[in-house]
Amino acid sequence: MEIFAAQLLNGLSLGSMYVLLVLGFNLMLLVAKIIQFAYPHLVVLSMYVCWGVLRHTDNMLLVVLASVASCIVVNVAIEPIFRLLAKRHGLDINVSFVVSMSMALLITDVMSHLLNYGYPIAFPTEWVGKSIFSSGLIAFSAGQAYALFGGIAAVAAFFYLLYRTRQGRVLRAISENSLLSSIIGIPIIKTRVLSYAIAGLLGGLTAVMFARLLGSASPGLGDFVGMKVVAASILAGLGNLKGGLVCGLLLGIAESMAIGYLAGSWSNAIAFMMMLVIMLIKPEGLFGIEA
Amino acid sequence: MKKSSMLKVEGVSVSYGPVRALENISIEVDRREIVALIGANGAGKTTLLKAILGVQKVQSGKVLFLGDDITNSSTDKVANMGLGLIPEGHLVFSTMTVLENLQLGAYHNPQDFNDNLENVFESFPVLRKRIHQTAGTLSGGEQQMLSIARTLMSKPELVMVDELSLGLAPKVVSEIFDILGDLNNKGYTILLAEQNAKKTLEFANRAYVMETGRVVLQGLTQELMSHPEVRRAYLGSNV
Ligand SMILES: Nc1ncnc2c1ncn2[C@@H]1O[C@H](COP(=O)(O)OP(=O)(O)O)[C@@H](O)[C@H]1O
Ligand SMILES: [Mg+2]
Repeated sequence: MEIFAAQLLNGLSLGSMYVLLVLGFNLMLLVAKIIQFAYPHLVVLSMYVCWGVLRHTDNMLLVVLASVASCIVVNVAIEPIFRLLAKRHGLDINVSFVVSMSMALLITDVMSHLLNYGYPIAFPTEWVGKSIFSSGLIAFSAGQAYALFGGIAAVAAFFYLLYRTRQGRVLRAISENSLLSSIIGIPIIKTRVLSYAIAGLLGGLTAVMFARLLGSASPGLGDFVGMKVVAASILAGLGNLKGGLVCGLLLGIAESMAIGYLAGSWSNAIAFMMMLVIMLIKPEGLFGIEA
Repeated sequence: MKKSSMLKVEGVSVSYGPVRALENISIEVDRREIVALIGANGAGKTTLLKAILGVQKVQSGKVLFLGDDITNSSTDKVANMGLGLIPEGHLVFSTMTVLENLQLGAYHNPQDFNDNLENVFESFPVLRKRIHQTAGTLSGGEQQMLSIARTLMSKPELVMVDELSLGLAPKVVSEIFDILGDLNNKGYTILLAEQNAKKTLEFANRAYVMETGRVVLQGLTQELMSHPEVRRAYLGSNV
């Protein structure tokens, strides 16, 4: 029972990180009509920025600002590439998938050749923090608390933006029907760029929380997380935001439970089995495709 | 008295790849007029409306709106200048509520939102009752009304309606024509593209008859309705 509670907490903190990435990923899919496979890699790159800034200052605000700014800037800077591709090929999700995959490889290469000589980076131990609560096997670290509560706050803010604000309405309009949106006078390109910026913002925040949760990062982390983000999105149904929320959390919990109850290395086999079974039963994902 | 020209299309040609859809088209709409574009399916009516709005690229010729050259301008800019298109198929944002649809229509005109909403509800009382309902659950006629109302929220100078009556019951169509008549009395200028020639000719002041991307006839609707060619081809009469 204690293992269960401990792993549930672990899973929720990890899962809330997946949720944030799934939301950013789906937002770009819905509004800009792209598969941005390199998005988690950009987030890992922002963890490197976070780490670099931390070596010079321990001002938390500065660290967060730098991570967020770098993730927004890079993600927005990539937008013209996808716009050019769309101009050539129409909005073809396969094209953006292939191109962003090579972008992901490039980012991984940069991290493994140019940053910290390719060695994994470690965040200061006080950054992850001691356990703020422990009882028997259950321990809840400050980093986990940041990830869980920060994640909840960021997800709430995201849904508020999307469903309660004017800009959110415009984002949803383009996601539902971009031609109709442009006919009624909504600036499409500007709003698409906004979706990259919002995904960048979510990504930058995730980078900081991920750093506190994991305490380290390595060049391979982008691929590792990227695969899970895509898997959770497909499990939920591509473009389905509420489904992504549920599946991101489930994935985090399933992963933690596998680590808690089985030899850790089998968690991937479990993920594969889950994926296979769900795709056989519901190829459109648990909650249905909305892209 | 010289009438003020609101929209002027001068010798516009449009192609889809190698296929020419509009060939040297010229039309004009004056302030407070109701003008109709009639023609069979495939004549090029939708293409012309899209070319005016900048959704479809114009290869040659000019589009002037309120004296400004808007040829191939970006659609959001043109819409912001006061050109509203109600597209074919009573399109609404079906996952959003009626209110959200109307808020989107007011994208360029957020000031006086409540007054505009009140005006729109006066023209379309049924929408007031449905304000928090998801637009996808409205009937076809209600969706067409919402589509028109959404456009009115931007206070357009010119309202263009593509296939107003397509897929709607005749009773609903008459009701919507009545509302458009009222709007015209209140000062709106209207350009209608319609296959349903009879009703449209009865409603409009002037019309252009299009065939395979060209204007083949034009004039006052009373005169066109008695034109033998129009009677034969569009009004189903065997004279
Ligand atoms: N997206 C498109 N691609 C290629 N051809 C098109 C496209 N849209 C319309 N056309 C062609 O252009 C011509 C005019 O079509 P359209 O403007 O839709 O006519 P209407 O609205 O009068 O029915 C038709 O021959 C049609 O097949
Ligand atoms: Mg048409």
